[in-house]
Amino acid sequence: MGALGGALIGVVIAIGASTALFFGANWLFDLAVDRWRTFLATSGALVGALIGAVIAGNDVAGGPLWLWAAVCAVVGAAAGIAASLLGTPSKSSRTRLSERGRLVTFLGPSLLFAALGLVIPLIRSIYLSLLDSRAAEWVGLANYGEILTNPNSLDLSGWTEIFTSRLFYAALVLIAVGLGIGMAVGRRRGRTMEALPGSIGPIAIGLFVLSFAVFTTLRGTVINNLWWVVVVTGLSTALGLAAAVLADGVRGESVAKSLIFLPMAISFVGAGIIWRFMYIARPPQKPQTGFLNAIWVWLGSLRPRTGGAWVAVLILALATVLLAGLCAFGVRRRQTAFAIGAAVTAIPVLWLIYRFLGPGLGGSVPGPTGEPIAGTILFLQEAPFNNVWLMVVLIWIQTGFAMVILSAAIKAVPSELIEAARVDGATERQTFWNVIIPTIIPTITVVATTLIVLVMKVYDIVKVMTAGNFGTQVIANEMWQKAFTELNFGLGSALAVVLFLAVVPAMAFNIRRTQRADA
Amino acid sequence: MSTVTASSPGPAAGGGRGAGGAIERVDRTGKLIYGFLRRIPTWVLWLMVIVWSIPASSLFLNSFRTRDAQRNSGWWESFNEGGWTLANYSEVLGTEQTGGLARALVNSFAIAIPATVIPVAIAAMAAYAFAWIKFRGREWLFIVFVSLLALPNQVALLPLLQLYAGGAHWTIPGTEFTLTLFPDFDLAGSATAVWLTHTAFALPFAVFLLHNYISSLPGELFEAARIDGADHVTIFWRLVVPLSVPALAAFTIFQFLWTWNDYLVAITMIGSNGEAWPATIRIASLAGEFGLREHVLSAGAFVQAGVPLIVFFALQRFFVRGLLAGSVKS
Amino acid sequence: MKKHRTRSTRLGTSRLLAVVLAFGLIVAACASDDDDDAEEAPAATEAMAEESMDESMDDEAMDDDMDEAMDDDMDESMDDSMDDAMMDLSGTKVTVFGPESSEEEAGAMQDALDVFAAATGIEIVYTGARDFSDQINAQAAGGNPPDIAVFPQPGKVGDFAAENWILAVPDEVQAAIGAQWPAGTLDTVTFGGTLYGVPNKTDLKSIVWYNTSIFESGGYAIPQTLEELQGLMIQMLGDGVTPWCVGIESGPATGWTFTDWMEDLVLRIHDENIYDQWVAGEIKFADPRIVLVAQQTLDIWNTPGMVYASGGSIAATPFGDNGEPLVAGDCAMHRQASFYAAFLPEGTSVGPGQDVDVFYFPALGVKGNRPVLTAGTYVSAFRNAPEVWAVMAYMGSAEYAEVRQSAQAARKGGGQSGFLSANLDQDLSVYNDLERSFVEILQTASPARFDGSDLMPAAVGAGTFWTEGTSAVNGDKSIAEAFAAIDASWPQ
Repeated sequence: MGALGGALIGVVIAIGASTALFFGANWLFDLAVDRWRTFLATSGALVGALIGAVIAGNDVAGGPLWLWAAVCAVVGAAAGIAASLLGTPSKSSRTRLSERGRLVTFLGPSLLFAALGLVIPLIRSIYLSLLDSRAAEWVGLANYGEILTNPNSLDLSGWTEIFTSRLFYAALVLIAVGLGIGMAVGRRRGRTMEALPGSIGPIAIGLFVLSFAVFTTLRGTVINNLWWVVVVTGLSTALGLAAAVLADGVRGESVAKSLIFLPMAISFVGAGIIWRFMYIARPPQKPQTGFLNAIWVWLGSLRPRTGGAWVAVLILALATVLLAGLCAFGVRRRQTAFAIGAAVTAIPVLWLIYRFLGPGLGGSVPGPTGEPIAGTILFLQEAPFNNVWLMVVLIWIQTGFAMVILSAAIKAVPSELIEAARVDGATERQTFWNVIIPTIIPTITVVATTLIVLVMKVYDIVKVMTAGNFGTQVIANEMWQKAFTELNFGLGSALAVVLFLAVVPAMAFNIRRTQRADA
Repeated sequence: MSTVTASSPGPAAGGGRGAGGAIERVDRTGKLIYGFLRRIPTWVLWLMVIVWSIPASSLFLNSFRTRDAQRNSGWWESFNEGGWTLANYSEVLGTEQTGGLARALVNSFAIAIPATVIPVAIAAMAAYAFAWIKFRGREWLFIVFVSLLALPNQVALLPLLQLYAGGAHWTIPGTEFTLTLFPDFDLAGSATAVWLTHTAFALPFAVFLLHNYISSLPGELFEAARIDGADHVTIFWRLVVPLSVPALAAFTIFQFLWTWNDYLVAITMIGSNGEAWPATIRIASLAGEFGLREHVLSAGAFVQAGVPLIVFFALQRFFVRGLLAGSVKS
Repeated sequence: MKKHRTRSTRLGTSRLLAVVLAFGLIVAACASDDDDDAEEAPAATEAMAEESMDESMDDEAMDDDMDEAMDDDMDESMDDSMDDAMMDLSGTKVTVFGPESSEEEAGAMQDALDVFAAATGIEIVYTGARDFSDQINAQAAGGNPPDIAVFPQPGKVGDFAAENWILAVPDEVQAAIGAQWPAGTLDTVTFGGTLYGVPNKTDLKSIVWYNTSIFESGGYAIPQTLEELQGLMIQMLGDGVTPWCVGIESGPATGWTFTDWMEDLVLRIHDENIYDQWVAGEIKFADPRIVLVAQQTLDIWNTPGMVYASGGSIAATPFGDNGEPLVAGDCAMHRQASFYAAFLPEGTSVGPGQDVDVFYFPALGVKGNRPVLTAGTYVSAFRNAPEVWAVMAYMGSAEYAEVRQSAQAARKGGGQSGFLSANLDQDLSVYNDLERSFVEILQTASPARFDGSDLMPAAVGAGTFWTEGTSAVNGDKSIAEAFAAIDASWPQ
């Protein structure tokens, strides 16, 4: 209990001292307006005490610290009173001084912490990045050159393969479909292009797929980082928004949100173990202990020979017919989104039927005797998609982050606005897209910006799960290995600076835009 | 179920009341289909919840299984096999090294509480200043300040450790005189060093998040208060803080669990002084060299996650209140 | 205590601001540290290294300490013959930081230190961290080192010595423990003629764990030469038995199992001279002789039916996960170090005629030598004080090895302790039969060589040798590509 008491007393004193400092400073600047002399005397005493402490602390002269502080405080107070005898500034300039001072009390603590904890280390890193590995000799930009010329950081040699990949063509088709729908609807409404879910959706998914086509062919640490940013930021924000919206007002909202939030509460050490259990593979003759491989192998063992399997095919076929009917219904009622939704849903169902009847649903490979045996996926070893499986871990964690912030923003949308929209006859969907989304756009920007930065700096997942092997290295993990494992401060610092410079423009742009929107 | 679906304004396929007019004219089958479709958003939510829960529940089940059971069969098999054991938990809870787990949990509180309260307080003040106190260069200072979020924290660890371990000293060029810029308080190896570091690292994000919220508060309110003679302290304390409770609660939750679950900052600042280690390091160390006893970490993860979950549940109610706070606006 | 002025942190901002912050926080700092023992104040390392070397130790006191600590029969001498010099150390405190962190190993380490603490009155605290290797770098560079660190990598001892972070071991300590260890043990941590570490623990790497029932039912004999082992592997393949279990996954250290195989084979296919030159960087990785060894290793591993990997592929298999299949009979043999018994499933009996037994990884018959690959830990000091040197000397002593061995075996509930020491003066009766046979191999090995990856510079030994080796094992790169990358990463 002694330890607990000591720790808590420390906490209380720390918080109490900070509060006292804040209110004391404000009280001081209150004095500046009305009681100029007291203000000067008090500030003089404070400055004096500080100088005294500095003198004593540096052993400039002998004597205990408290004595120096006290003597200098008295001298400072006297100097303050003397200064006040020279005359009192005008009321307006005193008020201005007071306002300035208050600005300092509000901003000062944050700026001080940021300067000590972030700005100085940043400047130090820039300096160290220009030195060699032992921080001894000036090497100019050699460290940066090494990063850019190392094939492990950037390997663009395979770029022509982009145009031969299936992903590339799938992306083109999706984008074309989106554009086509947008233009078709737009012509009907007298515009060249109409932005609606039916057109924006396929285009967005198409661009996403296109990024996969690029990131799987160009390889290297830098490319991996960009890939992480695109996938994790995009999906975490979208899924977090979806969870926040879907859970809003639903019975069991807090249970649902808590369960989606749970991964955030689990430490990285725990998360690493969890996902090892999810991804682990076993040899074909053994039962799978990894959840995903167990499902994959089970799916692979399903064959359309048994009666039950035919029933499954039948159900899938019925679902396809139903979806086709819904699609026709939508077209007839001119509910474009409805029709497209049904058509899009039918595609994976058809694909399932094809896989089931054809090559099989899951992991199954011909064994030595020709009989099919289990085929597992080595989720963490098979490049380049092992990167995606690592990203899944971070998406699993960060969706809760996006959800909590966006949910708070949705709940903060003034109910009057929503009521007004309802009175005007807006449907719920229109309210959502035209009232709620525009109101929370700044918050979405904050979430996305934060995630971009956070994902750029990701390293623990990679360190724990693959250690950067199998083509999964990212900049921050490489920086850690260089600076802390190998004590190569030059290269480590250069990597840090690269990471910093890569993110800052995006951040500054986002913040600036938000500022303009506010103004 | 009507309450469930009525208020889910989901964008999912087929949802919404736009089809309302058409629906009245179709037959009962159509109504059935429509009712089914209308519930899809809720179904999607719960599907998502299940998917999100599987990984953690797998660890939860495994935390009650022996190492050999964890290795030889999937966690779902434990329903058939049985063989549950509390051995992993007793190993985590019963660790004797450097004061045991109780000491480590106290250390975690001694780090996480100040590392949460202090950044929340000073970031809220800074966010208010950036949003509502006019001064020259405000926008650019804000951009520079928040851009520090992009700095990989690892680069700041060593300079800060050196500062805590030895202070900062500067020999005035050309003289023998060395000036102490920052005294050596012997902070390295203590919880204080950890939360000071967390405070510095948290500020850019805290200011960014809180500024976004505080700047969206209605300015007329503050104008009116100023005309009534309220100064910045009063406005901040009486208006801004109460109105910003949802944002403050959101940040508090994140900051608490980031600092509670932090490993890297704590071990770097504390180093080999095991008696000041928080629970994260204590538990992770149980795995041993080469991950010999890694299976006990499954239990450790849940021991570790308990406190953040309580904090989340405790603060979640403020999100609902946010609705009320927001309506004060107009 | 005199304040050391370091210029390590470049703070250019107004000193006033810094002092304001300092005042605000000092109160909190003192209060929250109430219970932490605020006494130990590790001085900034640079200053320490400079100044402490100047201060001459009290040689007399030192000698007495050592005599006392080294007394072969501690238990007797402890109680009655505590002389003045010993008493002087009571009330001092020594912190030890190392990589062994599990309840059993760290606990046994603390048990062993407690014995010395009780005898001398020194408070000794051992702290084990899982990521010790990275953290000791940060703590040393940041000026917050422990008093003593337990290094599993002698190469790192050399790096730290070059940085002046650790102190040379005084002659008295060297004299006291030097004769207790097999020849060459101290050479590993001697740099420029100066000794920087004291051996603390030894691991035996050149052994093969095998499933006895497979050997029995197949009628396989224990191979005495590498040629026989080769023949055995082919025989097993023909019988439909999978000869090896291999896994190289080990979290951030993935790949070290591959480096061990290579090192063992370099010692066997070539010899210790080539090994030494290779480890020192005089023979490149791209050298045909080294490439040949890697090729041989991968040829064995990639032969269909030769390897069982419980994680689906060699690179995906945690090396510890192979214990269960070895016992279950999925494979017949597993080449892994002496501490591997702890990774076998609970209840597995180990030893001659038991579930799993061990044989020496044989050498080429045509050469007739008996090379042994070893590993282990060395302790080095960051603070110059008599109590630190007393603890250092104790940690290299036979008494330490005996107490630690007994404590660790007790904590593991009998069976294999996983702790070995090659100390020549220790009483081998504290070991069980199997571990005693390991110690005998260690003490008589000729030539014995320390794990090469632990001797190489960290950028290679704990960096590219692991990562590029893993790429080669996984087939992501050819051996030539991978080894060229390792050579390129060797610090100039």
